Amino acid sequence: MDERLQKALEFSNYNLTFTNQKENIRNRVNQLKLVHINGGSFSAEPSLISFVKTLLDIGKTEAVMIDGKDNPVEIKNLQTFFDDLVSAYTSATNEYDIEYNKLKKMRSIKKIMDW
Amino acid sequence: MEYSAERGICMFAYNNEQLDYGQFSLLAAKQAKQYLDVPVCLITDNGTWSWLTQNHGEHLVDQFIDEVVITKEEPKQNKRTHYDSPYANFVAQFTNDNKHKIYEYSPYEKTLLIDIDYMIRTNFLDAFWDTPGVGMYNKAKDLNNKPMHMRETLLYDAGIPMWWSTVIMFDRSDISKMFFDTWAHIAENYSFYQYIYNFPGKLFRTDYCVSIAVHIMNGMIEGDLFNNFGGIPLINMLQQDDIVEVREDDWIFLVNNRKEEWKNILSSIKDSDIHCMNKRALDRHSADILEVKND
Repeated sequence: MDERLQKALEFSNYNLTFTNQKENIRNRVNQLKLVHINGGSFSAEPSLISFVKTLLDIGKTEAVMIDGKDNPVEIKNLQTFFDDLVSAYTSATNEYDIEYNKLKKMRSIKKIMDW
Repeated sequence: MEYSAERGICMFAYNNEQLDYGQFSLLAAKQAKQYLDVPVCLITDNGTWSWLTQNHGEHLVDQFIDEVVITKEEPKQNKRTHYDSPYANFVAQFTNDNKHKIYEYSPYEKTLLIDIDYMIRTNFLDAFWDTPGVGMYNKAKDLNNKPMHMRETLLYDAGIPMWWSTVIMFDRSDISKMFFDTWAHIAENYSFYQYIYNFPGKLFRTDYCVSIAVHIMNGMIEGDLFNNFGGIPLINMLQQDDIVEVREDDWIFLVNNRKEEWKNILSSIKDSDIHCMNKRALDRHSADILEVKND
C-alpha cells in the first residue's frame, strides 16, 4: 500500500476513535448537568443559570420555572436552586475539561485506550 | 403493606441451556450495590438459584444478593436469536413473560428493576428515587454514539416511540399499579396489539409492551406521564460488539460498524451505565467483573 494512504488510513482510524471518545465524555457531561428539584429535571445550561441570577438580582426569592419536559416546577428557594445549577455546571465542565485535555494528548489509539 | 426496604433493586434471571442468567445477575448485582448501595432482590426459579449458589458458593452470592423470590410459573416458549459478534449466533429460550409481575414480587417500596445485562457503573439513577410514578429510558444510543436502528426507535416506520424495559424505576402509586396492570393486559393479548401497533417479529418483547402501555396511559399521544430519566439516553452495547477489557475505572469495547460489519473501533467507557447486550461477551469477562475490586 502507498505509504501516504496507509498513514492517512491510520489517522482516519485514530480520528474516528477520538471523536467517539469525545462523545462518550459528552454523554457523561450531560448527566452531570442534570439538577432535580421538586419533581422536575433541569439541565444546568448557561442561559438558565443567567436567568435564575437575573431573578435573584431583581429581588425574587421564589419562582415557577419550566423544566426539561416543559412542565412548571415551583422553586421555593431560588438561591439554593441557583447554587445547585452552578455546582452542576461547574462540576460537569470541569470534568469535561480534565477528560478532554487528557484525550487531546493521546495521539494514538493505544494511548487512548491506556494500553 | 410491609416492605423489607424503602429502596431496592430487583432482577429476573432464568437460566437456559445456553446462557447462565443467574451468573449475569451476580455481575449486575455487584455493580449495582457498589454504585447505588441499596439491597438487591433476585427473582428466579429453583433450578437457576441452585445452580448459582452451587457454582459460586453461598458466601459470594450472599455478598451481592440480599433477597430471593422463587417463582413457579411455567415459562412460555420464546426463542431469541443472540449474536456474539456479527459472525456467530445461537438461539436460546428467553423467559420474560412474567416481568410485569414485578409490582407483586418486589419486596421494596421503591423499586429499580434492571435487566441482568444492565451494568450500573455510576450513581446516575440515584437522583430519580423520589420522582413519582414510573421511570424508563425512551432514548438510546449504541457505542458508536449513534441512535438505535429505526426498529428500536419506533415500533414501526410510522409507529409509536419505543420505551425500554431494561431499566424501570417505580413507586407504589396508583399510576405505577395501573402501568403494570396495563402491561399484563397487553402481554395477555400480545397478538392483538401486534396487529394494532404493527410491530414486527415473533419474539415476545417487553419493550413493546411497555411502549404500548405508555402510549395508552398517555391518552394515545406522546405525553409526559412517565419519567424518562431526564432524557439521558440508554447506552447499548450491541450483540455484535465485544468486551475487550474490564478495568476498575473503564471498560474497553470493540464496537462494530453496523453498516460495514468488517470494521470495528475501540471505545473506552468510563462513568456510564451500560446495557451489555452481548451475553457471551459478558460471560467471557464474568471472572474479571467479579474480581475487579470495589472502590
